[in-house]
Amino acid sequence: MKTINIPKLKEIVGENNVKDDPADLFIYGSDASVHRAMPWVIVRPENVEQVQGLMKFADEEKIPVITRGSGSGMCGQTVPSQGGITLDMKGMNRILEINPPDVYCRVEPGVVDDDLNLALKPYGVFYPPTPASSRTATIGGEIGNNASGVRSVKYGATRDSVLGMKVVLPGGKLISLGTRTRVEATGYQIHKLIVGSEGTLGVVVEATLKFVPIPKFRCLGMANFDRLEDAGHAIADIMAGGIIPSMLELVDNVAIKAVNKTMNLGLPDVEAVLLYEADGMVKEAVDYEINTMKNMCEKHGGTGLQSSYDAKERAKIFMGRKKLFPALSKFSELHASTSLADDMAVPYSKMAEMARTIHDVAKRNNIIMTAYGHCGSGCMHTKILMETSHQDQWESARRAVAEIYEYVRSVNGTTSAEHGIGLSKAAAFKAEKADSLELMRAIKKAFDPNNILNPGKLMDAPDDWVTATDLRYIVES
Amino acid sequence: MQKRKFELNHLLKWRNTLDKCIRCGYCYEHCPVFKHTRWETDAPRAKLIMLYGLLSCQLEPSKYMADKIFSCFNCQQCVAACSSGVPLTEIFADARADFVNTEFDTTGTTSVTGSGCGNCLTCVRACPHDARYFKDGHIVTDSIMCQSCGICTSLCPNQSVSSTHTYGTDRVYLNRLITDFLQKQEAKVIVFGCNWSYYPDLQSSSYDTESSSYIPIYEKPDPEYKILITMCGGRLTKPLMLDPFLENAWGVLVACCPEGECENDGNLTSAKRVKALKPILSSLDINPDRIELVNIAHGDKAGFQKAIDNFMEKIKTLGPLVDERSMNQQIRNTKYSTD
Repeated sequence: MKTINIPKLKEIVGENNVKDDPADLFIYGSDASVHRAMPWVIVRPENVEQVQGLMKFADEEKIPVITRGSGSGMCGQTVPSQGGITLDMKGMNRILEINPPDVYCRVEPGVVDDDLNLALKPYGVFYPPTPASSRTATIGGEIGNNASGVRSVKYGATRDSVLGMKVVLPGGKLISLGTRTRVEATGYQIHKLIVGSEGTLGVVVEATLKFVPIPKFRCLGMANFDRLEDAGHAIADIMAGGIIPSMLELVDNVAIKAVNKTMNLGLPDVEAVLLYEADGMVKEAVDYEINTMKNMCEKHGGTGLQSSYDAKERAKIFMGRKKLFPALSKFSELHASTSLADDMAVPYSKMAEMARTIHDVAKRNNIIMTAYGHCGSGCMHTKILMETSHQDQWESARRAVAEIYEYVRSVNGTTSAEHGIGLSKAAAFKAEKADSLELMRAIKKAFDPNNILNPGKLMDAPDDWVTATDLRYIVES
Repeated sequence: MQKRKFELNHLLKWRNTLDKCIRCGYCYEHCPVFKHTRWETDAPRAKLIMLYGLLSCQLEPSKYMADKIFSCFNCQQCVAACSSGVPLTEIFADARADFVNTEFDTTGTTSVTGSGCGNCLTCVRACPHDARYFKDGHIVTDSIMCQSCGICTSLCPNQSVSSTHTYGTDRVYLNRLITDFLQKQEAKVIVFGCNWSYYPDLQSSSYDTESSSYIPIYEKPDPEYKILITMCGGRLTKPLMLDPFLENAWGVLVACCPEGECENDGNLTSAKRVKALKPILSSLDINPDRIELVNIAHGDKAGFQKAIDNFMEKIKTLGPLVDERSMNQQIRNTKYSTD
């Protein structure tokens, strides 16, 4: 560990914005992934000038800088695998401007997604990427990750909503990127490159985001399928059927069993449940879209079809999906729910096969896995339920993850749809993007010649995620 | 008192449960302590990670760590928000049990008896959690039982009960916010709410001192009133409720939980105080209707807003406080001169 000049850091950001107690370092050493490592110090800047000062200092001293929002990432993006300064951006959480006539807002990176949406609500608009973690995720973290969520099938991911940004580069230079207009054809759109760069290219200190009108009508439907493949065919037909759902979610049998076991919601014991939603300003249009989806489900053997515009009824229908996380955590006393190979995307026609493959892989490797996800975006989520203290379970997980990604590549899918790469998915990412890795390294070098920004991630992360850092669990050998 | 050696005892049974925490962080934004400091290390998840460090022998126990464990208002919002069903506050209570009476023992947000204590036992009788008792000639706090509700701090006639850490719930801090707000041109009313009757939000995450920007809050702040959230209505002392009038507030609205819904009975205490303040306001030439108590059920945001709107309407009819007081003074002067 390199000795850091703490007084100098305090001089830059103020006495109260630096922490280095072992307990603090331990806390900031993990996120929602399986990884764990210790930063050397935590710094919480309050303004752009302080970020510039820090980046100048860190670049001169060649100290790693790991930018962090709420630490809710699931792949170890903010785990400081090479130590360094953890830059906590939650201190910069102001909404700087809401501009309805020009349909954009400007925010600091520490603004929490839900807070932004509550501030936008009086204007009748919303910021659409909305990941499941929107209650805690910051805009900065979402930009780093190119986050998306259940409604991204219609409204796109973070990259689609970012018009521009201000970024501090290593050395402390502040640059403005992008525009405040809806379209741009003015050279390289570097701000789009920063989105999804996982803190490896610069520190985002301000973002210009576009928003969309809150739809007046929203209708949610549900269909049960005795065969997973039938649900898969319904998904493919819906997405090719000339409509754009605002949500299309698949829940598999393992997840249904988990929800029924722990929550007693009485979901039907079928192989798959499909949740489909349409929204819009005109009811007839929403009716048309919902009926189209209903017909597609019926055509492929969907039963128990129901739908509702009523908010309470919709909440009831969505309850099973909403309670999936806690249900999986409570599935058994022995098993913990881990985020591994948890957000790949495959072409629509392969969704059912993907889910089936996940079940086969789990069975073959003696672990429990569930498949659910935003199939409207082609995204399949999984959770691996395992006895985390058993070394052999990690070996099984390692094999399972490799097998799943091999399948994903074989059907022209992608390693990550939402959660990013970080440490957990580096091997699969490198295999998928082999042709462009050298270009990516060149880009990284252009932004960050001294490699201080989140080093050892993405293309530079170790291939074996199990040993990339310490695991955050106590594993008995 | 002789300190015992720190040993992991009560915490041991939670080892597997700590694995259940998927570290999603959903507990953050619900925690009043985190909302005040905005340091991740003060969030409920951080407490769990710290305890995990202890249990896995990766962290040594320390006073710093104990201070975080004892800093919790037991509002249970983290438990309700937990996506994995982890019983956080039960775990924190067991962590306290392991830290208490060791060299690392500390007080955090629990109540502390100061040197001015007259041993009147008011706090002992009033504590809804049986956490205060008389021992060896002094009143002491059982820091495992204490829920940091703050009722005792508001009752002590000698003002000798306090908390080491208040996280924006003490009178000095609240007074600063009251003064800052009431200096603004359109400012009229202070609304006191409790963390349960109007969940969520402590004002600490929403101060709007910047001129051209504002910190995210649940709604855009209304320029005419400011909502100040305390942990429990029972913490609102009479002087605190009167403070806004010293700054010429047009009115004060106090929102508490409905009868039978406050586990600290703080709503009853608050109702008594508001009732007692009305004649005091009258004697100061202030219309007693300028202070009002309303009962708002947990999470009833719409009901809370309606109560605020109604009160604002009434207060605007009454007009500015300064005008009323000078008018009353004029009437009295006229009356005296006529006499």
